[in-house]
Amino acid sequence: MPTRPALTRILLKTLLLIFLGSAIGILYNVFSPSGITLKGSWSSKITSDSVVVPYSYKEGNDPPAISLDYAQMKFQSAKTIFLDARLPADFKEGHIQGAINLPHEEFDQHASSVLPKIPTSGEIITYCDGTECEASLLLARELQELGYKNIKIFFGGWAEWQGAGLAIKTGE
Amino acid sequence: MKIFKLFGQIVTDKRLMLVFRLVLGFIFVYASLDKIAHPEQFARIVYNYKILPPLLINIYAVTLPWVEFFAGLFLIFGVFTESASFLISFMLVIFVIAISINLYRGVNLNCGCFSTNPAGQKEGAKLLIKDFVFLYMGITVFFFNRGFATLSTLFSKKITN
Repeated sequence: MPTRPALTRILLKTLLLIFLGSAIGILYNVFSPSGITLKGSWSSKITSDSVVVPYSYKEGNDPPAISLDYAQMKFQSAKTIFLDARLPADFKEGHIQGAINLPHEEFDQHASSVLPKIPTSGEIITYCDGTECEASLLLARELQELGYKNIKIFFGGWAEWQGAGLAIKTGE
Repeated sequence: MKIFKLFGQIVTDKRLMLVFRLVLGFIFVYASLDKIAHPEQFARIVYNYKILPPLLINIYAVTLPWVEFFAGLFLIFGVFTESASFLISFMLVIFVIAISINLYRGVNLNCGCFSTNPAGQKEGAKLLIKDFVFLYMGITVFFFNRGFATLSTLFSKKITN
């Protein structure tokens, strides 16, 4: 068991280590080609329709972001296709009833079996876990590039849908 | 009683401490490399933890991997051994808290522990167990490392000679 003055020495050396690491980290970041700005923009944003979206969402360029109410309305009309952008394991644990799983991280693997079922003019709503995930946004962008025109993103996602006690399903 | 004494000797054995030091040191150095190479992806993972205020995310993502790197390196060579093991244990406690908060929230997120790949580890509770094992190693090294096979003792011996 270290004595008290020894403990002070240990703590001082620990601070020195932290300082050394941080200073070199910041220096390295300045000169590294993959360096990033020290002050990132990470807050969630609110669109003109008062929907909370992740920082990387670009209103105007990206497909429109919709609220829970809107998603629910579209769910009831039953014409809209809900695409779950999460991984199959999460999908199996529970998803919006009737949703189709098209994981963004495994897009190429699943696209060939899922996309033929969806007409390019059909209305699509993508979603993932909740506002902190971006899979729904990235999937929507991917589909936009493939020529799908009527895409919307439900950023509230699984968390909001389940939290509101709406229709869900577990399994495949 | 003898068996307790023997047990005590084994868990505080200086050679075991050396093994812990090397294992933990290499783990931390290894874990820092991918994060150092991909600060942007790592910052995104830190953001996903939803714990740090947005203003601190990038600074944390730029500095933490290097602190891990040096703490690991110092532990391997046995320079500032107590401080390095203390710092590593402290970081592990922070990681355990951060992972637990998100498990409690029901978010199974990408750990960002060893890899910044978005399809990487999502192992939740298993991760916590691993962290506790590392933490045990860190704490025992802090208390029972007696300078065995460290650069510091090597140098101080030279000076006294």
